[in-house]
Amino acid sequence: MWFVNRKILKRLCCIIFDAMYAEKVNSMMGEQKERFRILMVSDFFYPNFGGVENHIYYLAQCLIKLGHKVVVMTHAYGNRSGVRYMTGGLKVYYIPWTPFVMQNTLPTFYGTLPIIRTILVREKISLVHGHQAFSTLCHEALMHARTMGYKAVFTDHSLYGFSDVGSIHMNKVLQFTLADVTQAICVSHTSKENTVLRSGLLPEKVFVIPNAVDTAMFKPAAKRLSRDEIVIVVISRLVYRKGADLLVEVIPEVCRLYPFVRFIVGGDGPKRVRLEEMREKHSLQDRVEMLGAVPHAQVRSVLVSGHIFLNSSLTEAFCIAILEAASCGLLTVSTRVGGVPEVLPDDMIVLAEPDPGDMVHAIKKAISILPMIDPQVMHNRMKGLYDWHDVAKRTEIVYDRALKCTNQSLLERLSRYLSCGSWAGKLFCLVMIIDFLLWRLLQLWQPAERIEEVPDFTMFHDEDCSRP
Amino acid sequence: MVESSISSSSSSYTYLTDCKSSFQIHNILPPSSNPLTLTLNHFLLLLLLLFSPFIAFFFVNLKLGTPSPIFILPWSLLLLLKLLLGNPIHKESVILMPAFGVQIETHYTRGRVSRRFIAVDKILKPVLLECVTPATCYWNLSLIVQGEQQLISVFKVLRPPAKMLVPIWKALCAVTTDNDKEEESSKENCRG
Repeated sequence: MWFVNRKILKRLCCIIFDAMYAEKVNSMMGEQKERFRILMVSDFFYPNFGGVENHIYYLAQCLIKLGHKVVVMTHAYGNRSGVRYMTGGLKVYYIPWTPFVMQNTLPTFYGTLPIIRTILVREKISLVHGHQAFSTLCHEALMHARTMGYKAVFTDHSLYGFSDVGSIHMNKVLQFTLADVTQAICVSHTSKENTVLRSGLLPEKVFVIPNAVDTAMFKPAAKRLSRDEIVIVVISRLVYRKGADLLVEVIPEVCRLYPFVRFIVGGDGPKRVRLEEMREKHSLQDRVEMLGAVPHAQVRSVLVSGHIFLNSSLTEAFCIAILEAASCGLLTVSTRVGGVPEVLPDDMIVLAEPDPGDMVHAIKKAISILPMIDPQVMHNRMKGLYDWHDVAKRTEIVYDRALKCTNQSLLERLSRYLSCGSWAGKLFCLVMIIDFLLWRLLQLWQPAERIEEVPDFTMFHDEDCSRP
Repeated sequence: MVESSISSSSSSYTYLTDCKSSFQIHNILPPSSNPLTLTLNHFLLLLLLLFSPFIAFFFVNLKLGTPSPIFILPWSLLLLLKLLLGNPIHKESVILMPAFGVQIETHYTRGRVSRRFIAVDKILKPVLLECVTPATCYWNLSLIVQGEQQLISVFKVLRPPAKMLVPIWKALCAVTTDNDKEEESSKENCRG
């Protein structure tokens, strides 16, 4: 009895101490809340649509709402080049570098140094935040930022393997970038484990901040759908990684077991042909509707026409599509891969192994529990669970920690690169020495005093930051 | 002439205004060459001249024939001379003539002057923009002109700082808004 009481007392003391500490921190923050000036860099941004693009946009909007200055740097998209302003006064630099492959700029190592230096100086940037390991612009910006003594934060949005040639190369590049990064952010705990293993980064330097969803954009249908016919919705790129081959085997089996089930497949990709062939082979033209590519603005209207959302991804760091579906009140059936099990509570998702038989079994289970699902209740729960304001506040803490880190000399930084491998370490050191020398040459050629600082453009708005 | 040089630094642009007559003249003079840049340019030029015989020999050895170095080398040297020996611009000017229009002038060091006149009723709006190139960012003063597909840059070659462009932009705005007011009053008179 005494042991239990002691345990309770200990717990209470901890709670009181935490509350006091939080109050102290809040009062300190109130006294001297530092206004950060953040440069977000990635090859992936609007007018492209995707997880990374959305993350940067919404995070930037909420950080602006919190009183920080945010500037985004990306490459030009067609005619969209130069400086553009978005909602809330978000400034975007579309650098006229043409994409090389998969919306990525050509890796030049030093080609981007002059423009990055100019932006950092003219915008009076205090911290550089790079997004996505695939982005060459992100890696180069972080490299130049560290050379110039700026603090750097990196967010990894994906999971990678360890065995194939592409992954081995990518992991080495990531190791090079993260060797000198101030702090890192991952979107799930699985993603954190993966990043730490791949890059050799200290786990205490990596934070887990999940993605969020704009619940205002993904509302359930006003009228509840009839359950006479159950509609299963699939919206994803029809590629191998997203499990399109699994769908080819799962859909005919579900249609055979349940005559009242219909499928809506949204998305395009190289595997679309296989799905079309499956539809022809099993004569499911009336039960499997192929929509093709779905514009982002129409995703909600497709989702609300269904009861169950099916995600068959083979690898996923954090599936935003699941959040959007849950926000629209759909019950989710998904493969148990990567960070997916961390995304939703157990009563909102049915998980299965990436195996056709197990997927069919999971759909069976989902159909049986469907009467207990209330879309509006689900939407309201999602509102509380995932919020961009919360993501921004957590990111703010990471920025604060990054800016408190001490500046290191070139020699200290080079020693970190040397530990990256017997020959790779030496190569990384050489790359950084050249970068440092080029930066010094640029300083002689065009001193920072000659780069004109930009006046701040602020917009005062009361609307919710998560609305574009 | 009223001189209002923004910065005393040798690397800065010089801004001169003349408002004595009925119209305003805004001049932008390029920065005087940086001694370091000049030294570097001359050093590169010297290197080029020293290595030109070797380049010629290389061309001959590549079995490109004797005419190719004769034709290629002088032109490449001229091109490099043009690139290395500084700015060919003496100054760029904007002449504001209320009720008439705007004249944009580029004065070259060799005495050549290129001029362009834009009637005031054709100017829809003067705009101050941030331009981005693959290597740098700069401010640019442009005019949105009726019937033109693209913006017309006021300073085609020089890239003066925003603090020099703002007074010119304000003056351009004043010229265009005055014209709009005159048009409105004339329309009212016609109605009357």
